[in-house]
Amino acid sequence: MTDRGQRAAPVTTKRSNMSSVNGVVPTIIIVAGLALAAYALLMTALNRRMGIVLLAGLGVLEILLLVLVGLIVAKLASGERPPGGLATLIGYLIAMPLIPLVAGFWGLLERSRWGPAVVAVAGLVAAVLMVRLHEIWAVIRV
Amino acid sequence: MSEPATSPTSPPESTRTGPGRLLVAVYALFALSASARAGVQIATKFSHAPVAYVLSAFAGLVYIVATVTLANGSRTARRIAVVSCSVELIGVLVVGTWSILDRATFPDATVWSGYGSGYGFVPLVLPVFGLLWLYRWSRRARTRKAAAVTSAGDAGDTADGGDPAVHAVTSREHGQAG
Repeated sequence: MTDRGQRAAPVTTKRSNMSSVNGVVPTIIIVAGLALAAYALLMTALNRRMGIVLLAGLGVLEILLLVLVGLIVAKLASGERPPGGLATLIGYLIAMPLIPLVAGFWGLLERSRWGPAVVAVAGLVAAVLMVRLHEIWAVIRV
Repeated sequence: MSEPATSPTSPPESTRTGPGRLLVAVYALFALSASARAGVQIATKFSHAPVAYVLSAFAGLVYIVATVTLANGSRTARRIAVVSCSVELIGVLVVGTWSILDRATFPDATVWSGYGSGYGFVPLVLPVFGLLWLYRWSRRARTRKAAAVTSAGDAGDTADGGDPAVHAVTSREHGQAG
């Protein structure tokens, strides 16, 4: 962790397709997160409360995020290091699986349309995190 | 926007319920991301962009205060929340302008640089919604205060310099919370 800054950061070669995200799992997470957010926003617009569908969606998102955490940990265990910084990546590994859990808990406390709105935020955040993750470590291919 | 969420039958009993639920969630998200980001930056490469990183840490602190006070929702907490939302709005405007005029000071982005463009301009919009929500709450509290004064009769006028209406409101709030 000590020599990371000198080794990689200054000479990071940006890929031409910077905005694209490699890997099947991150792509699925983006699609799932956006779909969940869209459905949750629809529920907010229709003035519905938290329901089983939203909780199931959060569950699916949680599983996908845990799979991704596993894949990244395996990659780290094999000795590879992210050019964007190991500390940041570890922060992401901790934060990612917490998002659906916290959103589910916080949304269930609310007995109005604003519960689904919290779930919508979680879906969007999961999608955004995948793009950010790609900036830290562009080669998460699965 | 119609608002059945705040219908007379079920008014939000705190600043953290109703639309506040969403507000607190987004604030918590920014409290976490801003302070975690600042922590990593200060710990690993402080000399690279000291001003930007200190401002990131300050932003993180302001978000934490706003999250906690909005979630708490007591009278004092609401006042502190107004201050922190205002500081946040001023911060995002000042730092946003500063980061555009003086790019050399910001080789690395903060939450507030470019008016929060790195975060989808949410840092710019968030304090506005926070202040609007708090304003709605203070108005509601004032309405309750008026109602409390009416129900308390003329007892309030003979008080010893304190504001009995405020006490009435406070006790009402405690009653609702319990």
